[in-house]
Amino acid sequence: MIRTPRHFRLAGLRRLADEELADHIRRGDGVAYEALFERHGGAAFSLAYRMCGRRTLAEDIVQEAFLSLWRGRGFDPARGSVRSWVLAAVRHRALDSFRHNAAKTGRDVNDDAATESLVAAEDTGAQVQREEDARQVRGALVELPTEQRQVIELAYYGGFTHSEIAGMLDLPAGTVKGRMRLGLTKLRLSLSDFAEAVT
Amino acid sequence: MSVNGNTHDHDRGDDAAAYVLGALEPREAAEYVRHLTVCTRCREELAALTPVADALASAVPQLAAPTELRRRVMRAAKERPNEPTERVDRRERKPSRLTTRRIALGAGIATACVAAVLAFVAIQGRDTSRVVSASVMGSPGAAQLRISHNRGELVVSHLPPPAAGRIYEVWVRRGSTSPAPTSALFSVTGGGTATVDVPGDLRGVSQILVTQEPAGGSRVSTHRPLIVASLT
Repeated sequence: MIRTPRHFRLAGLRRLADEELADHIRRGDGVAYEALFERHGGAAFSLAYRMCGRRTLAEDIVQEAFLSLWRGRGFDPARGSVRSWVLAAVRHRALDSFRHNAAKTGRDVNDDAATESLVAAEDTGAQVQREEDARQVRGALVELPTEQRQVIELAYYGGFTHSEIAGMLDLPAGTVKGRMRLGLTKLRLSLSDFAEAVT
Repeated sequence: MSVNGNTHDHDRGDDAAAYVLGALEPREAAEYVRHLTVCTRCREELAALTPVADALASAVPQLAAPTELRRRVMRAAKERPNEPTERVDRRERKPSRLTTRRIALGAGIATACVAAVLAFVAIQGRDTSRVVSASVMGSPGAAQLRISHNRGELVVSHLPPPAAGRIYEVWVRRGSTSPAPTSALFSVTGGGTATVDVPGDLRGVSQILVTQEPAGGSRVSTHRPLIVASLT
């Protein structure tokens, strides 16, 4: 492979922190933007795909979120990390698509097969750490009683309100909210170190 | 839901959990947010649960971004240049939409902005374009909505930044229905400027509104509109 000046620059930018890359992006640096996508594009796509279950829609959502970052729409380093902003932007757009496109109805044919090949390769220390963090949260989620995990997942990833969930599960709305609270409180105890690290 | 307001002998932890998960009904969420302004205990409860909900975003099985997605993202960025706050090399600047936009913003007067943009539009021969001056209420600043081919772009200037932990959110009202939230969230530069794409087709839209919302946006507006652009 021929190494171009862009490749060398990208290699240099990969060593920068997110906040430094964001500074470059604010000055219109497309290579820094690419470096940031390399770093967080996978997490953004993973969340979008988990929420909408459709690869093409997930890609659209991620593209919109990153384009907003590129165009300086909404991200403020004083208010949080780049990663948390990107993930929040992805979730917001996914929920928006639920409202407008009824995306919750199903997956694209063969999407699961299509994404099997996309399982992230852990080829850098940071990626290994992120995957470890994800495993930690998933582990804590799995440890919750099923009825608590179910309502949390339906709300957070599915975008359903507590009333909708109550209707689906044939439960009083108050019970659904109570389970959400119990589940989140247990998660908080399990993840107290992790939660501080990601905010 | 509890109806207690500024007293502290109540328990609304269930609402806090549902709120951070985005699971309250719009009416409930609006009421809960109003309650937060007068209840320290609930604010603390919310602050404790918010990082947990944020962590859920990272909990999904991690996939690599498809190669084609990376190409798309980079291509889209190339086609839609950002608005850097500093230019590395001013010699690279060419007369462009961006230049016209900056001239318009610099004028700081809505009528002048409209005239400049209309002049630009006339030069470009884009007869489907128009500019709507927006009202900015309860705050300094100016705003206008640029419409072209039924797509909208909101341009604001001299607007103060949103309060800590908050963000500006764009809403769309169709006819006389309640405003619907969009995915357009934004802050402003140090100079109080921002340019925001309004998602979706503007056909049938009667108003574009902007409110200040908690970071991450809201599904129900929690504040009075700061900016209103009427299209009809």
